[in-house]
Amino acid sequence: MLDRCREIRSNILKISHASGNGHIPTSFSIVESLVAVYSTIRHDPKNPAWPERDIFILSKGHASLGLYAVMANFGYFTTDEVYAFGAYESRFGCHPDRTKVPGVEASTGSLGHGIGLAAGMALGFKIAKSPRRVVTLVGDGEANEGTVWETALVAADCGLGNLTVIYDHNRSQTRCLQIENPGERFAAFGWAVTEAPGHDVEALKAALGKRSDKPHVIIAKTVKGYGIKTLEDEVFAWHRRAPDAETLRKLEEELHAG
Amino acid sequence: MRGKFKDIITEMAEDDPRIVIVLGDISVFQFNAFREKHPDRFYNMGILEPTLISVSGGLNAAGFVPVVHTIAPFLTERCYEQIKLDLCYNRFEANLVTCGASFDYAWDGATHHAYSDLAILRLLPTMEVLQPGSERELEALMRSQTGNGKPTYFRLSDNPHTIDVGDVKFGKGIVLKRGTSGCTIMTAGPILGNVLEACKDLDVSLVYFHTIKPLDNELVASFRDDRILVVHDAYGLKEAVDAVCGMRTWYHGLPDDFCVWYGKVHDIRRRLGLDPAGIRARVREMLAQND
Repeated sequence: MLDRCREIRSNILKISHASGNGHIPTSFSIVESLVAVYSTIRHDPKNPAWPERDIFILSKGHASLGLYAVMANFGYFTTDEVYAFGAYESRFGCHPDRTKVPGVEASTGSLGHGIGLAAGMALGFKIAKSPRRVVTLVGDGEANEGTVWETALVAADCGLGNLTVIYDHNRSQTRCLQIENPGERFAAFGWAVTEAPGHDVEALKAALGKRSDKPHVIIAKTVKGYGIKTLEDEVFAWHRRAPDAETLRKLEEELHAG
Repeated sequence: MRGKFKDIITEMAEDDPRIVIVLGDISVFQFNAFREKHPDRFYNMGILEPTLISVSGGLNAAGFVPVVHTIAPFLTERCYEQIKLDLCYNRFEANLVTCGASFDYAWDGATHHAYSDLAILRLLPTMEVLQPGSERELEALMRSQTGNGKPTYFRLSDNPHTIDVGDVKFGKGIVLKRGTSGCTIMTAGPILGNVLEACKDLDVSLVYFHTIKPLDNELVASFRDDRILVVHDAYGLKEAVDAVCGMRTWYHGLPDDFCVWYGKVHDIRRRLGLDPAGIRARVREMLAQND
């Protein structure tokens, strides 16, 4: 694990402990994906409204703590500010609000919405003949929602080569509706498909650099709770849970030993 | 009214390059000329209404003014959460234009009837809810509200009235008749034709609305001392009037049941007592209670 990604995970743990909020395993699942995104898209953390910026949308909004921790690491705001996560007057809600957090492009939370907004933005940039690109991250549980597949149809039909979906394939649905071979399914819908190890930043960056006339999905093979075996082994118990002081200490030990 | 909608928006699109048409495979032939002239701003996207809304929110985020059009129940009731979150909560504009509301598609049965659209959409923060009853009202409202940065619902009808209601201004109600009985009829949309005919020689006041949200609360409140009969072939107006403090209201409209008959809109209206005779009978009953 990159030191940068370990530090981000450590911040996620500490903020969750301090705030009593957060979906830790799903946030851990996407750290490398988000680092790869913010390492490759055109953006300026000091000028989040830069008109020529590319767009990133976290469609699975409940992983907001992961998003904030990564955005803070890239300089959108300080990590200290995020310690107010979920507090009454905080900008940093447990689901992201684009009117409050600089650099958040869409307010998400209910699953299956961000991908449609992302496709609309990509279509707008295509109409405007703009070089701007759109990346969105969708959870594999979120892909149970029919709107994900409606959008997959529309994006292919509209030839949105400027749209990339990162599909966080962390096997979150083992007790529910699992989608086997999501890459084959997207390919059948007319998408370009890349399968990538979801905790390898360089591999993800390379995948994000691929260009096609078709919309592109990166099937990121990830592990929920990646980096701490206690979380990986107990993903359902830890789905939405904040560690107490003693547990935080143990989890941090595991994280830094890994 | 759909033809008029097409004419208005086509003309507006000449001057406003931000306007993009998104259809749910309805009224496609109407827009042939638009499609030929602006192929990059016309999308008959498919029969996937929730995604029409989400994509439109994204189009607005990218700087465009989407105009989304399909059949009323599918674009409103089916897509309620997309409208709530992807438009209202995200502060993205889309102009939702529907056909077939209430019982315009009577022959298609209850799956195609839509009478809750106005009522549910008026509950959403930032949403503008319009029920133009005539083509003239549609033109005034579409020109004033399209491109204003807010989500707006335009509920078209295939059975508009042709009454000249005077000056049409967004958010303003119109007093069409002033009586002395202390009984006021409030109504909205195309049913005005039946209401006006029913009340033409009755001593009642008649107040008309093309804008359900924001309702003209000041005008409504000015009738606070009257007994108010809301006559409407939908839900939404009665609830909006009731939200004004201290109103005494009654409702003449829909039963708490599905309308399981077919035929044409006039057949359904007659069955529900929303034809001129049915409305007249109800108003006279109310007047008699005044005595």
